[in-house]
Amino acid sequence: MTMFHFVNCVILTFGPHAVYYSATPLSEYDTIGTSVKALVVYLVTTLVKLICLATFLKVSETDTFDPYQELMRTLIGFIDIAGIYFALTQLTHRNISQAHKFQAVGLGWAFADSVLYRLAPLWIGARGLEFTWEYIFQGLEANANLVLNLSLAALVSLMWLRKNKPKTVIPIIYACAVILASMPSTVSYLRKALGWQPLKVVGFELTSSLVMAFISWQLYYACQRQV
Amino acid sequence: MVGTRSDGAGGELLESIYSVLVLALVLVACVELGDAATAVDVYRLIQYDIAGVPFGSRLAGLNHHAGSSLSTTNADLSRTAVILPVRELNLTLLNEFITRKQPLGGLLLLLPQRTGSRESSEKIHGDSLTRSILVELEKLLIHSYIPYPVYFAFENGKLNSILADVRRSDATGQPASATSGGYKLVVSSWEPKKVSAPTITNIQGWLPGLKEDDDTNQLPTIAIVAFYDTFGAAPALSVGSDSNGSGVVALLEIARLFSRLYSNPKTRGKYNLLFGLTSGGPYNYNGTLKWLRSFDQRLRESIDYAICLNSIGSWNNELWVHVSKPPENAYIKQVFDGLSDIAQDMGVKIGIKHKKINISNPRVAWEHEQFSRVRVTALTLSELSVPPELLESTGGLHDSRNIVDETAVYRSVKLVAESLARHIYGKQGRNIQIFAESSSLAINPSYIALWLDLLSRTPRVAPFLEKTNSFISALKKELSDHTVEVYGTHESIDGIFTFYDSTTATLNIYQVASVTFDLLLLLVLGAYIILLFCFLVITTRGVDDLINMFRRPTSRKSKAA
Repeated sequence: MTMFHFVNCVILTFGPHAVYYSATPLSEYDTIGTSVKALVVYLVTTLVKLICLATFLKVSETDTFDPYQELMRTLIGFIDIAGIYFALTQLTHRNISQAHKFQAVGLGWAFADSVLYRLAPLWIGARGLEFTWEYIFQGLEANANLVLNLSLAALVSLMWLRKNKPKTVIPIIYACAVILASMPSTVSYLRKALGWQPLKVVGFELTSSLVMAFISWQLYYACQRQV
Repeated sequence: MVGTRSDGAGGELLESIYSVLVLALVLVACVELGDAATAVDVYRLIQYDIAGVPFGSRLAGLNHHAGSSLSTTNADLSRTAVILPVRELNLTLLNEFITRKQPLGGLLLLLPQRTGSRESSEKIHGDSLTRSILVELEKLLIHSYIPYPVYFAFENGKLNSILADVRRSDATGQPASATSGGYKLVVSSWEPKKVSAPTITNIQGWLPGLKEDDDTNQLPTIAIVAFYDTFGAAPALSVGSDSNGSGVVALLEIARLFSRLYSNPKTRGKYNLLFGLTSGGPYNYNGTLKWLRSFDQRLRESIDYAICLNSIGSWNNELWVHVSKPPENAYIKQVFDGLSDIAQDMGVKIGIKHKKINISNPRVAWEHEQFSRVRVTALTLSELSVPPELLESTGGLHDSRNIVDETAVYRSVKLVAESLARHIYGKQGRNIQIFAESSSLAINPSYIALWLDLLSRTPRVAPFLEKTNSFISALKKELSDHTVEVYGTHESIDGIFTFYDSTTATLNIYQVASVTFDLLLLLVLGAYIILLFCFLVITTRGVDDLINMFRRPTSRKSKAA
């Protein structure tokens, strides 16, 4: 019955990506190419990030929270923004609208993230005889991550692609982007330094991602109206 | 032409990439997953045949859900591995269960933690209670045919908390099964194989006496013998501290004492001393029999008498001398008087028990009976007052370090050594102490304690001790430090005994979810995905689109019609 559990976890982890693609107009405009390009950019970005991490961080044997290390980690995490920016602007996309482009990039980005960080643990762990909630939580995390990445892509596209946005909104956009990019560090801070239970952490991730998505949507909407 | 060739090469390349991918996938799928919540060392109940009649646990592999009681009515016991702590074991229930041959998936018996040190009196009282349960349990298990795996494990925090969990779920009337989840006990083990040609190793060493030049007669010999192997319900736990670790320790200490006396020509006695560590003790002293048979006639006749040491580590005030000849026999009387003189000086009681040998009975209850059968005067010194049955008092589960009293071994050594010394140097009836406490010949209590500790850590069931076992070499080495001409002889065990291997294993305990849970989860996830889909469609394209999606096929059909 462990294969069953594995299938369940896979549905929870990767289902939303597929649903998002097929349910929204993304599928109608056939933006899969954009998503795949974003995926490739994600891989390259991750490689760069890993190199940076390996260069600037010490390998900590203990699972403790070290502020300096985490700060470095957060800074390196901002490479993500650069990656998304690159994916949004430098790649030649088929003629699709701004709105669809950022969604396709965010989706590809989140999907690549899930595949890279969650598929292998799932394959190894969830098929074991031992039952843990870990993989279900991980699937929920993947959901939160999808929402976060979509928001981040939206904000990045607002930052650099939309020229005439209201002046008052600009600092908020930047602040939100910073918050989003530093979200992994925040979560790791909660988990390691405050010792939160997995359930609490996942709850926090879900709520925060929904809140950030709502804010991003409002910002995007505000800029849209300006035009 | 060139184009097609390169196409072919590309196709081949693609094919090879595909095959590599497939291979990789197959490899990944075959990776054995060893991630258990808890892995415990477990010790399997012995599996053996006597003359083809099977006894003990006949299976090793286990893969069942955990249960906590033998009497649950609403569980399918044949698919349940029951965990029973020995501390609270209901022996009559278990006895009935086994004798009625009721089906069971498996049995895991939790032994109380072994404590090395002695504890408060309350604890000792509890220990003695557990000890008596263990003795009974062992007797029951050893002599029954059990068609399912039986394992022993030591209690620990994890196991106890798992047991508490299992009990809680049993109490709610939801025993563990595939539909309700719970804990699963898994021992992956292949079928136990017969131990091929098990051997027993007898070790002997000599302390030759001083022979006068003009004396052509052979010197008389005194033999000190103890069997060192054990037998118990769990071969990997049968350390036999008392039976017969105490005898082995006493023998080694006596050898050490006399080697000091015999190293000086002035104090070298006119007796040869023969030390024998025999194996096969639990199997009617099979090793002793073969050891004696290997002696030539002259040697056998030169043996004045033999003292067998058996279980002398936990007596308080009374030791027994077991003999096969009537106590009035002159030789026996002489040895017994020597021993009881010393006992009187030491303030302990010593009794004599006479048990005739029945040649037609294959059961040999005492080691000295093997000597008596070849007409060598012999006696067994033991704290046991009645002859043990076959495979009884052979160092089983209960027989651990904490039941052995070092001072008892010390007193036994003193008793035997002093009486031997008086006999050898002809000082009978005189009140002298050769091994006085503060002299250079004093008995060394720390030597005794050290060897007791070592023996109490070493399971010594003969068929599972290889010829080259480090413990056997250690015994040989120790004996050769004190005596000369030390060698071990390898014999095969009495053919009516057959033993099976896989005495230890690792038990993995998994917490498993039920099928019902998986189904529910699938339903919830499906609902979530569908809801998400609807939500996204409605927010991005509008409700009409969603409705259209489900209508489209029908509308097309109608159009076509």
